[in-house]
Amino acid sequence: MLDLFLDILGTTGKKFINFIANIGHFFIFFGSAIYWAFKPPWYLKKIFQQILDIGYFSLPVVGLTTFFSGMVLALQTYNGFTEFNSESTVARIVLTSITRELGPVLTGLMVAGRIGAKMAAEIATMRVTEQIDALRTLGTRPMQYLIAPKIIASLVCIPVLVLIGNTIGILGGYVIAIHKLNFNPNLYLYATMEYLQLIDIIQGTVKAAVFGLIISIVSCYFGYNASKGAEGVGFATTSSVVISSVMILTSTYVITALFFG
Amino acid sequence: MEKRKNKKIIIKVSNLSKSFNNNIVLKNINFQLLEGESLAIIGASGSGKSVLLKNIIGILQPDKGSIEINNTEMVNLKRSLKEKILLDLGITFQHGALFDSLKNWENIIFKTANKEKMNNKQGKQLAFSIIKQLGLQPEILDLYPSEISGGMQKRVAIARAICGNPKILLFDEPTSGLDPVTGSLIDQLIKTAVRTVGGSAITITHDMASVCRIADKVILIDKQTISWSGTPKEMFYSANKKIQEFIKPINSEIFFK
Repeated sequence: MLDLFLDILGTTGKKFINFIANIGHFFIFFGSAIYWAFKPPWYLKKIFQQILDIGYFSLPVVGLTTFFSGMVLALQTYNGFTEFNSESTVARIVLTSITRELGPVLTGLMVAGRIGAKMAAEIATMRVTEQIDALRTLGTRPMQYLIAPKIIASLVCIPVLVLIGNTIGILGGYVIAIHKLNFNPNLYLYATMEYLQLIDIIQGTVKAAVFGLIISIVSCYFGYNASKGAEGVGFATTSSVVISSVMILTSTYVITALFFG
Repeated sequence: MEKRKNKKIIIKVSNLSKSFNNNIVLKNINFQLLEGESLAIIGASGSGKSVLLKNIIGILQPDKGSIEINNTEMVNLKRSLKEKILLDLGITFQHGALFDSLKNWENIIFKTANKEKMNNKQGKQLAFSIIKQLGLQPEILDLYPSEISGGMQKRVAIARAICGNPKILLFDEPTSGLDPVTGSLIDQLIKTAVRTVGGSAITITHDMASVCRIADKVILIDKQTISWSGTPKEMFYSANKKIQEFIKPINSEIFFK
């Protein structure tokens, strides 16, 4: 009985120590990644490739997601608020929800799924096929050559994607409000512009930048530390998407609380 | 013997030990690589040959011991200094480790292009001048590693290692997976690199024919340590059981007649 208890205690303790060590390892990686992202020389060709991949090629998925979210939001708000004769607040609700929360979070989650998985898989494959080791022997720092361009591109692209996504989301709400709910176009636009606040845009952009940092660093971390061949690549990819998504949802609360708490 | 004594020590490994999770892979490894010398490391699969190579190039950190390259202690050396020393080395990995996202010519000139500016035309010309020594066609330069065969990938990896004429060459199974003709070509190239450039090479291999062609000295890693060392000729007359197992499939007469 005592042996069993000691076994359980030992296993739990080992797992706890591993967990703490992994957190420490992650923060060391985080610090190192930030350091190399801001230290010249920068691999401009690699940064440009990443900007194209993260920014340009994510536009369709982000656009579609936010457009339909704006549409759904307008429809749901209208249905709910009709009971209180407050249909006029539809524009305000759509605007605030999209700019403050849905635009950044949905964009973040979409990019985490599309780009985070790609980053993790790419780096993990390079790790298990010794390409990262080869980089080091060829006088190139993997952090500077592989990780830094991804972080820089994410920091630049995701805020821009969020701004575009916000606009498309609001447009989605507008389309439904005008063509299905029979709002007056001028009044709807006027209400939208009236409630548009700089703080909401700033908040959305700050969130986007934080999400960009989370997605790129978490994905690169899991990819960089991958092992055990194909299984390791799969694990890195799944973990990067799951952890990025959870961190996006957690950090959005923290940022909202900081702005409006 | 006197001549050997006067030669400069290029790589000196002393009392090197390495283990992974209490599994001892290497124990008290000692050897030297002299200037102009070609050393072959043989041993069964999983005997720790590649681990030894990875310790030498700093990818793995030894638990104990010292590694000197050109009289500079590599263990615990500052990263920037280690990188400078690695620039003078040409290394191939067991599975090539070519960069998937770069074309073959970009892979070949990767290190040189980092050191000196060159445009695409110059880069391709440099890559071409190297691959023609390896029996590769210029058409492969504009392809990605995934678009060529495994044997070709191996040769592109060797081209990457010898680009820039490094004085120290480290090859991990350079001829595995190659046909005998190409394997012989690679051996010739290693020999040429050592003899004409005045370089030194360490080659990890299972190919005993290759050992006979390229090596001045052979070491056998068995049971975590160096269990035998000598010249290729001595290898064929050795009473060491493991060595005999290795040379059994080869008719020594063919090589030494």
